[in-house]
Amino acid sequence: MGNLLLAKSRINILVIAIFVLFTLLALQLFRVQVVQASSYQRKAANEMQSTRLIPAPRGEITDVNGIAFARSVSAITIVVDQTQITDPARVANFVAPILGLSAADVQENITGTRKYSIVLKNGRPALWDKLTEAIYEYNKSLDNQHFDKRIIGFFPERSYIREYPSGELISSLVGFVRADGIGATGLESSLNSTITGTAGKYSYARGYGAEIPGSQREIIGAKAGTNIRLTINRDVQWVAAKAIADAVKSSAATSGTVIVMDPKTGAIVAHATAPTFDPNNTKNVALSLMRNPSVQDVYEPGSTGKVMTMAAALEEKTITPTTVFTVPYMLKRGGSTFHDHERHATQHLTTSGILAVSSNTGTIQVGETLSHDTLYNYLTKFGIGSKTGSGLPGESGGLLRVVSDWSGTTAPTVAFGQGYSVTAMQATSVFATIANNGVRVSPTVIAGTSDASGHFTPTANRSSVRVVSEDTAIKLRLMMESVVSAQGTAPSAAIPGYRVAGKTGTAMRYDQNTGRYSGYTASFIGFAPADAPRYVISVTLQDPKNGHYGGSLGGPVFKKVMTFVLQSEHVAPTGTKVLPVALSQAELTRARATQVSAKKQ
Amino acid sequence: MSTFLNRNPYRRGRKSSLFSGFDPVLTGAVALLLLMGTLLVYAATREWYSANGLDPQYYLKRHVINIIIGLALAWGTTIIDYRLLRAYTPYIWGLGVFGLLFVLIPGVGSEVNGAKAWIRLPAGFQIQPAEIAKISIIIGIAMLLSERTHNSDEPTNQDVLKALGVAAIPILLILAQPDMGTVFIISASVVTMLAVSGAPTRWIVGLILLAVIGGFVATKAGVINDYQIKRLQSFVDPNADSQGAGYQLRQARITVGSGGLIGTGLFDGPQTNGRFVPEQQTDFIFTVAGEELGFLGSGLIIFLLFTILMRAFAIARRSTDPYGTLVCTGVIAWFAFQIFENIGMTLGLMPMTGVPLPFLSYGGSSMFANLIGFGLLQNVHASHRS
Repeated sequence: MGNLLLAKSRINILVIAIFVLFTLLALQLFRVQVVQASSYQRKAANEMQSTRLIPAPRGEITDVNGIAFARSVSAITIVVDQTQITDPARVANFVAPILGLSAADVQENITGTRKYSIVLKNGRPALWDKLTEAIYEYNKSLDNQHFDKRIIGFFPERSYIREYPSGELISSLVGFVRADGIGATGLESSLNSTITGTAGKYSYARGYGAEIPGSQREIIGAKAGTNIRLTINRDVQWVAAKAIADAVKSSAATSGTVIVMDPKTGAIVAHATAPTFDPNNTKNVALSLMRNPSVQDVYEPGSTGKVMTMAAALEEKTITPTTVFTVPYMLKRGGSTFHDHERHATQHLTTSGILAVSSNTGTIQVGETLSHDTLYNYLTKFGIGSKTGSGLPGESGGLLRVVSDWSGTTAPTVAFGQGYSVTAMQATSVFATIANNGVRVSPTVIAGTSDASGHFTPTANRSSVRVVSEDTAIKLRLMMESVVSAQGTAPSAAIPGYRVAGKTGTAMRYDQNTGRYSGYTASFIGFAPADAPRYVISVTLQDPKNGHYGGSLGGPVFKKVMTFVLQSEHVAPTGTKVLPVALSQAELTRARATQVSAKKQ
Repeated sequence: MSTFLNRNPYRRGRKSSLFSGFDPVLTGAVALLLLMGTLLVYAATREWYSANGLDPQYYLKRHVINIIIGLALAWGTTIIDYRLLRAYTPYIWGLGVFGLLFVLIPGVGSEVNGAKAWIRLPAGFQIQPAEIAKISIIIGIAMLLSERTHNSDEPTNQDVLKALGVAAIPILLILAQPDMGTVFIISASVVTMLAVSGAPTRWIVGLILLAVIGGFVATKAGVINDYQIKRLQSFVDPNADSQGAGYQLRQARITVGSGGLIGTGLFDGPQTNGRFVPEQQTDFIFTVAGEELGFLGSGLIIFLLFTILMRAFAIARRSTDPYGTLVCTGVIAWFAFQIFENIGMTLGLMPMTGVPLPFLSYGGSSMFANLIGFGLLQNVHASHRS
């Protein structure tokens, strides 16, 4: 067959052609893998390496003994790549019961073309384990013909959720965190930058739309936020919260506040408000409930403000505890008539007596022993008109008009605690100043902070200011003890075994909404033991409808909380013997006679 | 016909052993490639499958089964009598054509990557009739061009036309799928066989021109599908179709390139394990070798494939009858163009088409066809040992 010869010469051409083609392949292979290798390696590294944030938990907020008020716990957000779901209905029916969700919701979230769709936000980590195990078993059970039926496309994302183990116990102070992890109210908001942790970062190799297992490498570790230790004692807080909640309920008040303060350090031991909210479930909570009334709500203090008028006059030596004033029921000043709470015949009372029965007309006269500027300066030194420095979010400084704006009625009004406004925190601070021998210590709720490694830094000492002398403070305390005596306005605040000093307040309440005075602010602020004060407790009730006297409404709450604090802190009883302070001219004359006869003997 | 009778002594002679006809170099190269392919298929699939809670050896097991079946077919093709093969050729051709018609019936052929190339069988198996067609065309044309019904040194126009007829029907059917890669490979093989058969040069030149012009017109006239034009565009400009073909080609080149000289080590390729390149166990198997075995490993693969072709040339030359020579030539052209198309696509020398790499890629039909092709080479070799 001659054609075979021709064929074989053409085979040679084919050999050459193939040799050329393979040489081309080899050269191109050399070019890609040897010459350009480093460039491709860089490209590979670039497209593969990706980074993600590692969420960091927020710091804990604890009570003074380390019991958590707010803590962050691990959670898992389950996300799906919708493009990997072939049969949403079937997958939803499989996944929904495991996650405890409705199949319809799951189906909606997994249907579509998005690569990132959240199926379950902030679930328990165990749920993810359960899901992956179930999917793994399900996929394993499929034979090869049903390969496309396997369930894929779900992946987890680490997250943290905020828990408030004591519920509404201290929510007005601690606040709560928004769904996006940022503090919304309270300390969670004001200390947000401190509490917030620093997110870490890890790199991972990105495969076909997913992280390649085992490729993850931490670049920066997540740093948990700073823990905040409060000065609050949870047990005292519990008693205070219960007492104020009960009082608000029984008096039908719109709100109530109890503050327990250590006057020496300014530390707030309890801070309870009512009504309040559960920070674990803030969906349907009215905004007004999320406020902190102790520093955000201002009111005219009323009779508790008389303490400052007395302190100023004592310090200026225009009066002594036994200076006698003629106290009528009514008094005309600046074209207005001022009168006491209850009608009475004109009396001759000592300044102690004026304070004990909370006489407005008496206090006006005490105030008139001082110039307007002097009265104003003392109020300012007690902290009226400026923030207490508690650092609580939204704190108001109250309102005190400057002397140049005063009218003819201002000075007498201010003398008995109206015509200016304070916060409950400010009012508490006034009494703490007297309890602390005349030195005002700025209040605080923070005992200290501890970083992620557990290193504790106590809060720096609070700033302090001397307002009145120790002598004045001691005299005033004696006078205030008479308030809880049988003749005083708050015998209900007396605690057997302890000397208690305090002052009631029953103030006309200015209604912000109507712009008129309506209802009352009933309060009682006191401290114990009166001779060596350990704790100051203020009780404030806004607009109570069942009764309105500070003594009858605030006194029992004070007694309940103070009794618990003194006993739980093992403060030894100091006896109930009150040094005799004459409350009236008659008593004074009698006492003097006794003293004279004693001297003669 | 006399050549038939002449060959009888050889036949009898080699029946002494079932395996005596195997060319050791050819067999060794194929065996080594099968082994490498098995490891690469496993490397391409294990990580992804285990990450998804599936059997990581799923593809490995099926690949090994495919090889075992393929080797049985190769052995059968090696020992079968020429005459029997010739006798069966029309039936094999018919079967291929029937299969190609079958896949085009709507709802029967399963569509993969835009081409209706597959018939779904029970138990998750699929069959690709185009692979059967390759073999039937090669042995069919070899039969037609080696048998002369007249006294002529060269195939006459009539012979050439007959051969083209045999090839044209399956080619048109594959064009309809459409599977341009396979059309290119089969066409190139047919032209090569015609050339080696001694067909007049005008035919060879004419057919090549026809292919070039046809391809150009088809592209312009929109006969070629959108996705194929995209593939061509992304060959010219890899950024043209960044999510589709362009993405795949770019990823393929990055994966191969990042392997460097010695590679990342078998099973340790981050690009491979991350499934950056789709269809990695089939059409893009060379990228696994490129990344994990480096230039040395992938160069070895090219060398082994080249060795197979060179041994096949030796067998073709030694063959004493045109049929053997033409069968060998057909198989050589098929393998050579498919290898060049596949590796060339991976390395950016050729546009993207979905053809597997002979002896390495996962895929039953393709593996069976490759090993039958290997069997045909052995058959010719065994028939002409001196």
